[in-house]
Amino acid sequence: DSSVSVRASTGKILSSKEEKRGRGGMGEEVHLGLPGPWAEDYREKADHYTTKIGGVPDWPTEDMGIKPHLLQCSLCGTKLCLVAQVYAPVAKLNIESRTIYVLVCPTSKCGPNPQSWKVLRVQKCHSIVQTNGKVDEVDQRKASCNISIYSKKRNKLKHSNAPIKCPLGKVKEDDPSLPVLPCFYIYYGKEKLGGKGIVGPNSSESVSGKEIADVANDEEEKWEGESYEYDRALGADRTFLKFKKRLDAYPQQCFRYSYGGKPLLAATNLQESRVCKLCGAPRQYELQLMSPLSYFLHEASDGSSDYAPDNWTWLTLVIYTCSKNCCPSTCVGKLVLPRQSQPTIPSCNLLQGT
Amino acid sequence: MAERGGERGGFGRGFGRGGRGGRGDRGGRRGGRRGPRQEEEKWVPVTKLGRLVKEGRFTKIEEIYLHSLPVKEHQIVETLVPGLKDEVMKITPVQKQTRAGQRTRFKAFVVVGDNNGHVGLGVKCAKEVATAIRGAIILAKLSVVPVRRGYWGNKIGQPHTVPCKVTGKCGSVTVRMVPAPRGSGIVAARVPKKVLQFAGIEDVFTSSRGSTKTLGNFVKATFDCLMKTYGFLTPDFWRDTKFVKSPFQEYTDLLAKPTKALMLDAPVENIEA
Repeated sequence: DSSVSVRASTGKILSSKEEKRGRGGMGEEVHLGLPGPWAEDYREKADHYTTKIGGVPDWPTEDMGIKPHLLQCSLCGTKLCLVAQVYAPVAKLNIESRTIYVLVCPTSKCGPNPQSWKVLRVQKCHSIVQTNGKVDEVDQRKASCNISIYSKKRNKLKHSNAPIKCPLGKVKEDDPSLPVLPCFYIYYGKEKLGGKGIVGPNSSESVSGKEIADVANDEEEKWEGESYEYDRALGADRTFLKFKKRLDAYPQQCFRYSYGGKPLLAATNLQESRVCKLCGAPRQYELQLMSPLSYFLHEASDGSSDYAPDNWTWLTLVIYTCSKNCCPSTCVGKLVLPRQSQPTIPSCNLLQGT
Repeated sequence: MAERGGERGGFGRGFGRGGRGGRGDRGGRRGGRRGPRQEEEKWVPVTKLGRLVKEGRFTKIEEIYLHSLPVKEHQIVETLVPGLKDEVMKITPVQKQTRAGQRTRFKAFVVVGDNNGHVGLGVKCAKEVATAIRGAIILAKLSVVPVRRGYWGNKIGQPHTVPCKVTGKCGSVTVRMVPAPRGSGIVAARVPKKVLQFAGIEDVFTSSRGSTKTLGNFVKATFDCLMKTYGFLTPDFWRDTKFVKSPFQEYTDLLAKPTKALMLDAPVENIEA
């Protein structure tokens, strides 16, 4: 077979794993949200095409008509504050104006509980409405709640479903009492998976050729019977070490975006919600928030005691959206209660070595 | 890599607000938004424990051991145990048979320690030797454990030997360590002797059994033995434990599991011999 002989002659064998590694995972590119400049004023307004962390949510229109309890914590009722606003158009489905808002309860008590998070997907759907012979093209902006958030703390998976709604009521604007997280803007980078020779952050240990030679030519002992071993450490398993390796390539990534791609998991116990509650279409991965985000917010805190990011212990927060980007045309006031997640256990109770 | 605004049409406007940029002075040392490699030395912690260590909440690594918190970032250990030295014990090639010949990778064994009660062992396979060594150093730092030392007879001076007879096992190799009087030195084969030196044990008698030719298992058995020194219940530990609040539990009282009466004293549990 010709292909085999080519490989043998070059002396380099490409395993199937190596070839796959070149891709970002399932053939999709991964875009990384990297930290840009801080906002001068944390409450300053941008537009809904801006991708940013923290600050005030920029709704596409003034009168969004989002039901108020979509913007309230399901545990304590406090108004939610914005964690991330990601402008995410879908070119394939021709949806230009689509933004995802990730909201969280600002009180520290609700912090560890995944039910204090909500994700909204706001997109523009064109529809033509005929009223009295006139043809109006009405841009209806529907806010539909996103779907499920998988908050991955170490070794424990939490899962929450946000209730799904239709627009009713008004959203108060410019509420100065609304808590706001420190705001900074995001610019995008593409994840390039480097080769094995990428210099890690701690490259200060230079490995001299002599040292290798000394150790390689060993004296009387022969280390026999060694075979390939997967990476393992006392506190971190292989999945986490791979997660950390991807993270170390771009240590400041705040979120990863890959529409329909594969999430980068930090632990293997992931329960997934498969189906969109509105239309029944399967959900697919869209983006995940990463822990450097909570680090940056933590660093920017003004030292107040009730600061939510100080309590976050999640490693990554995976967000799945409806694969059909459904847009309900009827106003159905159906309330879907969030599924009860496992009781959250703070990281201090983790078992060692798992 | 740092393309402002990205390339895809939709994302291009994401940075449209460049004019507003400009850095506030409120906290937030983020840096590194220019080149990707500029602020490489700066550690961005991934886990909550890493964040707490970075801001200086811990002075000694024993506070982490006290609560059995898993250490997932090697920078934590580097920060808390300053005198850590590493040494490569062995690099062996391991081979795998494939259809088109053999694939050779290198397996590196690295031991780290501060010669004073902390030791770690890391094993990493990689295609290049340098990568394997670097990876093994990181894994070794992640596995740093405390080693308990005690006395053979009179409790004069500093502890110098293992507190009791302990044994560790890996594969078919078992290693048994027996307390030795001062001045005996480490009586062991060359390979475990290195690990014991890094651990800070001055005198010990060892005895091994099994196929010690498989030095990988031999060194792992020694390490396992050292891990067990703090697992052995001696009469010094018979006093009731006074529990201390874990560093993660400060804000969430409702999550505390009521076992015994929680006392909020300063930590009484000294992890010294």
